[in-house]
Amino acid sequence: MSQLQFFIALVAGGLSAAGFALSFVTPFEQALLLKAFLGLGFLSLIRFFIPIGLWADGAFAVLGAVAVLTSIGIFQPAPAFFWMALIVAWLFSWLFVERLSKVLAPRLSDNAGLGLIIPITFGVALLVIWEVVTRGANVPPVLLPPPSMIGAQLANSTGILWADFVQTFVKSVLPGYVMGCLAGLVVAVLVDRSPFLKAGLLPIGNFMSALPIIGIAPIMVMWFGFDWQSKAAVVVAMTFFPMLVNTVAGLNAASNIERDLMRTYAASYWQTLMKLRLPAAGPFIFNALKINSTLALIGAIVAEFFGTPVVGMGFRISTGVGRLAIDLVWAEIAVAAIAGSAFYGVIALIERGATFWHPSVRGGRA
Amino acid sequence: MKKSIGGLLVSALALSAAPAFAQDALTLQLKWVTQAQFAGYLVAESKGFYDEENLDITILPGGPNIAPEQVIAGGGADIIVTWMAAGLAARDTGVPLVNIAQPFKRSGLMMICPTETEINEVADFPGHTLGVWFFGNEYPFFAWMNKEGIATDGSEGGVTVLQQSFDIQPMIQGQADCISVMTYNEYGQALDAGYGPDNLTIFNYTELGNDLLEDGLYVMEDSLDDPAKVDAYTRFVRASMKGWEYAAANPEEAAQIVVDMDETGAATLEHQLYMTGEVAKLVDPADPALDMATYDRTVKALLDQSIIKAEPEGAYTTVVTDGL
Repeated sequence: MSQLQFFIALVAGGLSAAGFALSFVTPFEQALLLKAFLGLGFLSLIRFFIPIGLWADGAFAVLGAVAVLTSIGIFQPAPAFFWMALIVAWLFSWLFVERLSKVLAPRLSDNAGLGLIIPITFGVALLVIWEVVTRGANVPPVLLPPPSMIGAQLANSTGILWADFVQTFVKSVLPGYVMGCLAGLVVAVLVDRSPFLKAGLLPIGNFMSALPIIGIAPIMVMWFGFDWQSKAAVVVAMTFFPMLVNTVAGLNAASNIERDLMRTYAASYWQTLMKLRLPAAGPFIFNALKINSTLALIGAIVAEFFGTPVVGMGFRISTGVGRLAIDLVWAEIAVAAIAGSAFYGVIALIERGATFWHPSVRGGRA
Repeated sequence: MKKSIGGLLVSALALSAAPAFAQDALTLQLKWVTQAQFAGYLVAESKGFYDEENLDITILPGGPNIAPEQVIAGGGADIIVTWMAAGLAARDTGVPLVNIAQPFKRSGLMMICPTETEINEVADFPGHTLGVWFFGNEYPFFAWMNKEGIATDGSEGGVTVLQQSFDIQPMIQGQADCISVMTYNEYGQALDAGYGPDNLTIFNYTELGNDLLEDGLYVMEDSLDDPAKVDAYTRFVRASMKGWEYAAANPEEAAQIVVDMDETGAATLEHQLYMTGEVAKLVDPADPALDMATYDRTVKALLDQSIIKAEPEGAYTTVVTDGL
């Protein structure tokens, strides 16, 4: 047992003991599960004499989460031992994750399935704390709704959320992303061929990439109208320069020895480009594609703040706040986060297949 | 010794000064940026009418990303200026707002269409694009379309709705056939841009009987349990109405006060003077009480459009206006 684990276990047991003692102030039949959990937490202190398995800590964490969640409505306002139980439950989940990751660390790649438990525990703990704090402390839902309310809204308004997803992601993000990245790639090749463009265009590219998107967005709306075209244009402007800069750097990745070898084969410029330099630039290009995948979604959503037809993620987020439909805003944020992560994940998977030769992908294996 | 004399002096000063400084502090959140739409409150502050009522008022400007209902729910303000539709919708979602006074008797909302769009009456709307403000300002439009039976979801035989910026750009650029304007603000911009009754078809929400109550004063319900608060609200409304009266009688001075109080420096004297004159037509400084007929119509329109789910109870109180 490491020093950190020892400390967490001590605090969890001690807090349980204190909470257990405090809980006797209220009538016994109230919140029986909560009291049982605190009592068990107190008993966990025997670990300093008899070792307890890490799965027992996991069970403690689950029991604690259930106990706290089911007793939210019982007290108004929630007493101190309720909050202590929340902290204890969180400490147990921390202890569990801490111990599990220590066990898995030496051979994590062989335990991918088991390794997933760690981030899932982390995420669930976050949701439980959010739910308990917002509902237990009666935070007004217009300031921060509990996750259960957001989940209900997510399930109830699938029609609205789907229409917004199609408008923002399918119509604005994807075309803008493809156009911006392709243009960046083509211009990068041109820049690479011409010293004049390299000296003249690249500094301007860097300058343009620093332009604030909230400055570009209203102008694009004026130029291309309110519908998805102006949002796609913002996405093009945002994705073009990361792609350009990364590809230019990537094209220089092939070493002189490799280029000299191509020359001894009497390879033409295009043959060298297609067979050596572009593949060598692959990791750089995929880097830009990954950066752009999340950038594109942000750009489209922000661009929708500046006038849209009455559909789209950005529209819903910006106007939902005004009509106090905060749960719908959070549901929209959840959809955007999932869509952005999935998009990034797809690009990362393609990268793994396309640049299989790169050390970062083959993990140092020959 | 020196210290104790100093202490005595300080406490003596505090005792003598305390009654003069013990003003009731209230924070007012405006619905929009500092402009003559709120001339009454700005003039009352500037001319010391609040001080006369022993009030210390902090006026917070609003803006396109500020929802007054959210500010008051978070405890950032004591009183807010908002439209009744937004206020009742907020009440419906769990922010217990109560109307304590309604200085604005008529709506300043209009929809204007250039004559070349050949829209002359409501029946001509289908197939056209209409600009609407959102962020809680969309309710009167949707209630109107609902009353006329015109679909707004982009389906056949309905209208296309566009989220409009807070200016007349969408009309000038031809992105919308009709746009929303306030009589006291954007309509003035249209007049400056060469539009007017000759080349515009104007749909005035008030004249069509579709107006919902705008710019009322709202507080949180639980604060009305405290008699001291109710007393402070009463004095606040009294001083504010004095401000409105003064603004209507002295538009030039009121416009100058607004320009001086606008910290962003965006307000121009000419536009604020126009706005002061137009706003004066909507406000009745003599009677800030809520008109029940208009209230009932507002509630019905919101219920018909299911913006609110249940008939609101206790959404207004006359305790403040009765005490004037």
